[in-house]
Amino acid sequence: MLSLKIAARFLRRSPGQSALIVAGIAVGIATQVFVGSLITSLQADLLAAAVGSSPHITLEAPDGGGIPASFAADAAKSEPLISTAIPVRTLSAIYTSGAESVPLSVTGGDAADLDTIYKLGDKLSAGTYRLDFGEALIGVRFAERYGVHAGDRIELLLPNGRTVDYAVTGVFDLGQGTANERFAFVDAASADEALGFTENECSSVQLQLSDPFASSEIAPRLADALGVVTIDWQEENADLLSGLAAQSGSSVMIQVFVLVAVALGIASTLAISAVQKTRQVGILKALGMSDRAAGRIFLWQAALLGLAGTLAGIALGYALIWSFSFAPVPFSIRPEPTFIAVSAAVGISVALLSSVIPARSTSRLDPIEVIQNG
Amino acid sequence: MSAEHANTPVVQLRGLVKVYDTGEVPFTALRGIDLDVYSGEFIGIIGKSGSGKTTLINMITGIDHPTEGEIVVADTPVHALGENALAKWRGRNIGVVFQFFQLLPTLTILENVLLPMDFCSTYPVRERVPRAMELLEQVELADQAHKLPAALSGGQQQRAAIARALANDPPILAADEPTGNLDSKTAEAVFHLFERLVEQHKTIIMVTHDNDLASRVRRALHVADGEIAEERIHRGRHTGA
Repeated sequence: MLSLKIAARFLRRSPGQSALIVAGIAVGIATQVFVGSLITSLQADLLAAAVGSSPHITLEAPDGGGIPASFAADAAKSEPLISTAIPVRTLSAIYTSGAESVPLSVTGGDAADLDTIYKLGDKLSAGTYRLDFGEALIGVRFAERYGVHAGDRIELLLPNGRTVDYAVTGVFDLGQGTANERFAFVDAASADEALGFTENECSSVQLQLSDPFASSEIAPRLADALGVVTIDWQEENADLLSGLAAQSGSSVMIQVFVLVAVALGIASTLAISAVQKTRQVGILKALGMSDRAAGRIFLWQAALLGLAGTLAGIALGYALIWSFSFAPVPFSIRPEPTFIAVSAAVGISVALLSSVIPARSTSRLDPIEVIQNG
Repeated sequence: MSAEHANTPVVQLRGLVKVYDTGEVPFTALRGIDLDVYSGEFIGIIGKSGSGKTTLINMITGIDHPTEGEIVVADTPVHALGENALAKWRGRNIGVVFQFFQLLPTLTILENVLLPMDFCSTYPVRERVPRAMELLEQVELADQAHKLPAALSGGQQQRAAIARALANDPPILAADEPTGNLDSKTAEAVFHLFERLVEQHKTIIMVTHDNDLASRVRRALHVADGEIAEERIHRGRHTGA
């Protein structure tokens, strides 16, 4: 601990120099925290917008017919990462308004089940979230375009030529133009009736995962186990994923460059400090300090500077994130504790690594060089 | 061996050669020095600048390494020790006093005196501060203990350096021009301190360019061109054990 005490003294005797190094590390770590949290939040928002309210894996019959509704429970039981599994009925329908015919993609299911994936209850712009027999929810763009309101009735033409009449209970806004115009949700029983399904049949099972990126591993296993075909969101959103990957790559590059700049800053300042302290270290060695203990002085200096700089950097990073909440942008940055912990560990490690050269040159210092030169 | 000393020497130098590689022409600082120093002796090493006297004392303290020859101090073959072992050995066995005091400017006087004890763990932690204060009292600096070296005069700094050199109670004190940077009055006080330490059975080897001081020690060695050119014994001065 003597090395630590001397390291602390060296730092205290050069307050300006110490403050500059701490500030350098702090700015580097703050940039890491801010840019990292910004990219992470942006990606999370993008991901949530893209697949947060849609299935990550869909199970369908290979022949396009129905599959047992019990596959939902079977799938959930076999894969712990599945957070939601619901049986749905899907059918195409035509809505006619005057001379215009509009195709609609209709999903039928239990209202509570559908809400777990599509969060429709939170996305209603009019009406109430309810799907009893013969009731439907329509998109806001469809409603506006064709003048349909909650409480109105709509008539849909099914592929088998039948027409079905639905009472509109609510109007949803999924935040996506096509979905708001071409999607509709109906209750499970009327969808079964329209499709000719029994109560235990469904068109597909829709799954959400606690880690959406695990879909590419889970989907093939489910296909094998249940004899179904799977639709993986990652295959369907290859462009989005390559965009996210590019964003992650640029984020990593920025962070690497920031770390290199921080490391070079600490290393050069510690090297200068080592030269400045050569005489004192020489005296210490002449008095009986071992090579290793002498080298540890600079390791401790780096550790103290790294710790102080990292803590200050995290505080500064949080301050930047907080100040960003006042910026007129449509998203917010959320600090990511794991990412910040990693940044802190990397910051301190880089500081320690930067001290290796001055520590080694100090440990090799021959006291005679100092004593002879007075 | 001097007839006055029946005991084993605490310092034995045999065929000591030091050659510095200074470029094209190597410089020979010591040319086969043989020397015995006995416990309790007060030895003065005098000589002109560049004569090799500082190199000689640096060999004894292990701060510098010989090109040839053997150095045995208190039964330890110093020439055969590695750097770390040498540092530890030096801390325990030799108190070094430098011409320019070499106190650490970032530490207080008390902390400077504590350093050798901390390095070598010669005393339990709880005993170190009382011992350091006792040593500072001995050199009349107890009231300056918590000041930084820069706040003290040259003489006070040298006395603090002597207290530091005594921290581990080493049997030998090696002092390189300890009065070289002091005025005559302060130099006299430091010399008296050394005399008191010899009375306490310390062995002191002091390099000096001051012929007057050299004439007051028991044995004075005149070094010239890397050799002991002359050895003078002053009767009635401090003798070895």
